[in-house]
Formats: sequence, C-alpha cells, structure tokens
Amino acid sequence: MNEFVETILALEWHKPKPAYDVVIIGGGGHGLATAYYLATRHGITNVAVLEANYIGSGNSGRNTTIIRANYGIPESIRFYQHSLELYGTLEDETGCWIMHSTKGLLWLAHTESAMRAERARCLLNQACGAETVMVTPEEARSICPQLDLSGGGRYPVLGASYHVGAATARHDRVVWAYAQGAMRKGVDVLQHTPVTGLLRDGERVVGVETPNGPISAGLVLSAVGGNVSTVAAMADVRLPIRTHPLQAFVTNAYALGFGPIISDTELFCYVSQTARGQMLMGAEFDPQPSYSLGSSYNFLQSCSAKVTHLLPFLRDLRILRQWTGICDISTDFSPIMGETGVPGFLVTTGWGTWGFKAIPAGGEQMAELIATGRTPAMLEPFRLDRFARELPMADQGSTGTR
Amino acid sequence: MLALETIPGVRAAADAAAIDGMVVAEGAVVLRFAPDEVFIMFPKPGRELNEGFAQAIIARETGFVGCWLTLEELAARVVAHIDWALPVERPALAQGLVAGVPAKLWLESGRALLLCAAPYAHELTERLR
Amino acid sequence: MPELDCPNCGLRPIEEFTFGGERPSVPDRITDPLERDVDYAWMHDNVNGATSERWFHAAGCRRWLTVRRNTSLTGMTPVE
Ligand SMILES: Cc1cc2nc3c(=O)[nH]c(=O)nc-3n(C[C@H](O)[C@H](O)[C@H](O)COP(=O)(O)OP(=O)(O)OC[C@H]3O[C@@H](n4cnc5c(N)ncnc54)[C@H](O)[C@@H]3O)c2cc1C
Ligand SMILES: [Zn+2]
Repeated sequence: MNEFVETILALEWHKPKPAYDVVIIGGGGHGLATAYYLATRHGITNVAVLEANYIGSGNSGRNTTIIRANYGIPESIRFYQHSLELYGTLEDETGCWIMHSTKGLLWLAHTESAMRAERARCLLNQACGAETVMVTPEEARSICPQLDLSGGGRYPVLGASYHVGAATARHDRVVWAYAQGAMRKGVDVLQHTPVTGLLRDGERVVGVETPNGPISAGLVLSAVGGNVSTVAAMADVRLPIRTHPLQAFVTNAYALGFGPIISDTELFCYVSQTARGQMLMGAEFDPQPSYSLGSSYNFLQSCSAKVTHLLPFLRDLRILRQWTGICDISTDFSPIMGETGVPGFLVTTGWGTWGFKAIPAGGEQMAELIATGRTPAMLEPFRLDRFARELPMADQGSTGTR
Repeated sequence: MLALETIPGVRAAADAAAIDGMVVAEGAVVLRFAPDEVFIMFPKPGRELNEGFAQAIIARETGFVGCWLTLEELAARVVAHIDWALPVERPALAQGLVAGVPAKLWLESGRALLLCAAPYAHELTERLR
Repeated sequence: MPELDCPNCGLRPIEEFTFGGERPSVPDRITDPLERDVDYAWMHDNVNGATSERWFHAAGCRRWLTVRRNTSLTGMTPVE
C-alpha cells in the first residue's frame, strides 16, 4: 500500500441525503473539480457528486494526461493556459502528489503547409499568453535525441513548434485529489449511484432519480462525459455532441529517459513517456460514433506504423495494454459549459478528447457560475447558446493531433 | 519497385440496367466500379460503346495508373497489405485499401491488374516497396 | 475495428468509409421554425442504441450507403 491509498482509506463515505443544494452527475475530473471549488472557493458544501461506477472510471481515468494550452483560437488558449497554471499549483493547494511534470511539447511539421500552421500557432499562442516557439530540426533533436529527423526517409522533420509549458500528471491522482479535497469540506461523493432520470417541476429540473430513490436538488449539473446526450435528453436538452471512442496504448518500459511530448498532425499520433517509463501513444478518435469500449487491432497497427518512422527505437518495444474511452465530441471541438435553457439544469461537456487538461479551469469556472449565478467572462464564449447565435468556437487544435 | 503507368480507358455512368445491357468491343476489359459505373479498358484506344448506351455519361479516363502482375508477384508484393478477403471467383474486381491506399484489383485466372488513382501512385509504390 | 458490409464491395474495415452523419431528425416538440433550423444544423440525437446513418465508401466503390446499427455494440449493418 502506498502513502496515497492510505489517505484515501481515511475518508468517510456517506449515505445519500434526501436533498442537496447542488447535485453533480458524474464523478470524473470535471464533476469532482466543480464540487471541490464550490466547497473551497465559495463555501457551498451541501453538494453531492453521483457516480454511476467508481470515481475516475470514465475518461478521467483513461486519458493520456497531456496538459497543454497551444490551441488555435484566442478564447481557448486563454482558458487552457489558465488551466495549465492551476495544474502547476494543484499539489501545493491540495497537498496531494499528482505527479505533475512539465515536459514541453514538440509539434512536428513535415511539409511547408504544416510549417505555416505551426508558425501561426506560435504567433497566436504568444499573443494570448501561452509560450510556444518555432525550433529548427536540430533544436528539435536536442530536445528529443531519439527523433529520426529524416522520418524514416518518408516524413522528414522540417521544423516544429515547441510549447514550453506542456506537462503531464497522473490522471487518477488528479481525480482523487479533487474528490478528497471536496469530501474533507463536507461534499458527499456517492459511488455506484447512477442517475436514471431527472425530477421535474414544470420545466424546471429539481432533482434526480437513482436506484436508491429520488434526491432533490436546488441545481443539477451534468458532468457525465460521453454519456451526456442520454442525460441531457432527460431534460429535453439537445446538444451538438457525438460520442466517439478514443483509443490509446502503452509499451513496456523504455530504459532511457524520453523527455518531451511529441505530437504530429500529418501522422495523426502523439507520444510521451509515463512515470513508469512506458511509452504512451494515442491518435485521433474513431470515425464511428459509438458507446462501445472495444479496442481494435487496426488502431495499434496504424499508429505503430506511423510513429516508428519518427522514433525508430519504438520498434524494439512491446505493446502491453490498450484501452478505449468514449468521448463527448462537440461539433466545433470546443467545450460547452453552463446554462442549457432549462432552469435548474447545467452542463459541462464537449470535453471530447481534450478535457483532462481543462479539469482545474473547468471546475473552477463552473463553480463560480453556480455560486454567483453569473457566467464568468472566461466561460462566456463556451455557452451552449453560441450555436443558436451562429458563433461556434471552431478549434480543431483541441484534438491531440491537430 | 512497382512501375505504375497510366491505364487509359473509358468511364461510363448510367443506370444499372443500361450498364447490364451494354455491349463492348471484343477483348475489352470491363471493371464494374459500382452498379451505375464502369471503367472499360479497350485493346485499342477508342470509344467503342454500342448505340443502346446513349443515356449515359461517357468520358475518356486517364486518371488511373496501374500495372499487371503475375500471380506470384501479387502474392509476394500485394496480398500481405490487404486487410480484407479477396474474392474467390475469376475474373473479379476488388476495391479497397491496399497498404492503406485506396486501390483496385482486377483478378483474372492467370494475372492481376493493380490500379489506383494517379495522385496516390507514389504513396502506393512506396508502401509496396 | 468494426467492419461494414458494403453491398458493392463486401466486408471492409470501417477505415475505408467516411462518416456522413445520422439522418437528421428534429423533435416534433420543437415548433418554432428558427429553433428547428438551429436543431437541424447543429444538434444530434447521439443515441446509445439503434441508429440510422449515412456512410461513404471512400476507398472502394465511392457510393453512399445507409447503415443501421447499434451504437452500444461494434457491429454495423448496411441497408441500402
Ligand atoms: C484515450 C484517451 C486519451 C485522452 N487523452 C487526453 C489528453 O492527453 N489530454 C486531455 O486533456 N484530455 C485527454 N482525453 C480527454 C479527457 O480524458 C476527458 O475529456 C476528460 O477526462 C473528461 O472528464 P469528465 O469529468 O467530463 O468525464 P469522465 O471522466 O468521463 O467522467 C464522467 C463520469 O460520469 C459517470 N456517469 C455517466 N453517466 C452517469 C449517470 N447517468 N449517472 C451517474 N454517473 C454517470 C461516468 O461513469 C464517469 O465516471 C483523453 C480521453 C481518452 C479516452
Ligand atoms: Zn463499396
């Protein structure tokens, strides 16, 4: 048993109360962080987080843990940069070791048009407060000595953007840090408690139904990851979301250190090394909408075939595990946070394949919205009604490989 | 390296019944891309489709490249790069990803034609190297 | 990886196809014409269960198919 598990065991788990001020559906990072900031920043502690399975069993415990802010539109860059900074101080704030490690991220370009895209990324990032600079192939190799600059003769590296502040953190520790912080302040975290329906009073949502009976709530927040359309439908809320699987895999440990995170638009893949030394790889989400957690051989094959062009040492490693999460992909690749048009019912969704990095800022800002009843400036661009106002926040920079 | 060369032909789109009733010159090879579309390689160049085929869009097509392979070459160079089942009857047209590149195979009893759209030629030869 | 049985080409990995979206279905309870337009343009049923979608066989016959399938499973069955 490690020091971390011991602290968890000291926590007290509760029976549901009949009513709460705020009920949060979904014990992933976003639900738990919202509860944490409600309790710590706003003194709102009569809060329950209802989790169908165990906390972190959704995408927050399945992701490749990349934290970055090198996005493609100003509103997103500012939001994710804020989140990246909150991650940097999370260990001090919560007293939990989340294994946060700043690594830097190289985004490789193999064509002139990709070079243009990376140059544009750098300019926009710098203008909006995220540190991203262009590097030459030689500089890229000094950051990552394992890189084959000829790309196996097929994908020569012409240059790269280097996002200095990019980091990783241990995903389930982040989930538990927020859960623990919230519970210590009096928030109830109820595991194995699926929400099966919503209680309505006219149009208003006034609580939730669970197999253990109804729970009334002053306000209900849906933070259920890939299952959001099902929960939103209970409130007759329509969302521009499709649920797609995203896969990842790890190899056995690579003895030498592998410093940065590598990302590649043309090869649609990204690579980093875990604290245990395993090489962790991911790609784009599967093309078919699906709620199935099935993984595929084709993904292993196509991802490996591409990534070994850049990092030939990977050929000598073995694949240990692969897994899948189901992601709430929004039409414009940006999150959807806040009011839904149905009183008493809020959402935090559209986190797709990019929402781990956003857990601190998403939770903090949603908590402020719930506590004050006003949409904070940082969330304003990400409201659901942006679609009706024809103001989508199109940003494919949010997916891991674009 | 496979040497892919332009395979000229005629492409015709019409309703499926009209294509079913189509008569082509002796020796022509007819690849049925879809119920309503064919690609025809004539032994000598020309537009030798019959009269009853008037209700169609017919155009000279030079956008395909390909090469003929022996069955040994097919087995050695190509089959390992196909993730789906090849048809068993001959002759037969098979279409799909070959080494991850959209391609077509025309399978005769003694030989096969590997075909792809010209812009993919370089990628396909590289991957089948 | 799920496979799709193309009526023209046979059983193929899903990578050969391009997703064209589910058939749009604006709920009857939305009556305001402007709201119906917004729903048609942006919103998705995204059901966990039976659905009907359009797929394009990009790497094969290059024809559009209607596919009925269950999104909670991996299988797919084309119907057109
Ligand atoms: C393979 C993979 C790699 C990824 N890599 C990255 C990355 O490198 N960087 C990054 O920033 N993001 C990444 N992501 C995305 C990131 O993981 C998610 O966006 C993020 O974890 C979403 O958090 P969440 O709290 O919204 O959802 P989740 O963590 O999915 O939590 C939702 C919870 O709700 C519960 N739930 C569902 N329905 C109900 C119900 N009816 N009642 C009660 N509970 C319910 C679920 O059990 C689940 O625990 C990746 C995702 C995957 C799958
Ligand atoms: Zn087909």
